[in-house]
Amino acid sequence: MVRIKYRYLLCEVCVSERSGLQMLAERPIYDALRAALGKAHGAHGAALLSVGSSVTYVNAYTGVVLLRFRKAHYRLLWSALPFVTSIWSRGQKVPCFFNCVHIGGTIRTCQKFLVRYSRQQLCRMLPHCKTEAEKQEVRRAVLSCSLNKFREEEEDNDFGEDGEETEA
Amino acid sequence: MDEEPSSYERVAYKNDSVYHYMKICLIFGNERKPLSAEQFKQLIISGLKELYGEVGAAFPFDVLTFDQFVLSAILRVYNNGLVKLWSALTLIGSCENESCAFRVTQVSPFLLALSGNSREMEVQ
Repeated sequence: MVRIKYRYLLCEVCVSERSGLQMLAERPIYDALRAALGKAHGAHGAALLSVGSSVTYVNAYTGVVLLRFRKAHYRLLWSALPFVTSIWSRGQKVPCFFNCVHIGGTIRTCQKFLVRYSRQQLCRMLPHCKTEAEKQEVRRAVLSCSLNKFREEEEDNDFGEDGEETEA
Repeated sequence: MDEEPSSYERVAYKNDSVYHYMKICLIFGNERKPLSAEQFKQLIISGLKELYGEVGAAFPFDVLTFDQFVLSAILRVYNNGLVKLWSALTLIGSCENESCAFRVTQVSPFLLALSGNSREMEVQ
């Protein structure tokens, strides 16, 4: 009844080479966000970030990041996402770009969307598969996309990952 | 001349003005040489940039008049930018490493209201 409402931004991180994806972690992303907000929206924006915002989920294999903002000012913080150009992680600078695909009120709705979205991405990847074995892998992964209790994540083809949602 | 009793008509404006006008004054801690109008505007923009970033500094406002010896000015800003501009003016503390402060004398949606000031009015 009386609870603090959040908005969860589901973002996809696009990097130029795949090795940069391994560098994704919560702290570097948060620092990059705060720097971008400080430049774009000044002290006011950086202060709004410190109230109830966090990087909730980071998946280094698929490049999915879930950001949590307060409902009161999530639009201002959302507008600073295009200003994030690189992430400093482990002493290296990784140029990247945040692509926001969905905004949900709870983590569960974001997960449901992510399953549907990953299935569409897999179907788009199918024509690019090079060998028959990879095609089989992708088809199997598409059929098994669901919110299950616990499933292992598997890598299938060169273009990397399947989008099966893992639940701990 | 025939004078007819004028009919009484009441006109109510519900915030008819798009702009707000602010009369402000810049006060320095020590004496210093007068500023030009461009430097004055640049000082306000730098204050906006510090508090509200690039997006805030891009908000349009105008310096309508400027007196470079008394360092007083009349600013014009859109209604939705008034709070940002006023808060940025409040938090400006220094100009080129010299401590200074902005005093806001009057704020009004109508420019005519800034011509009279009951604080400085002398009643004969």
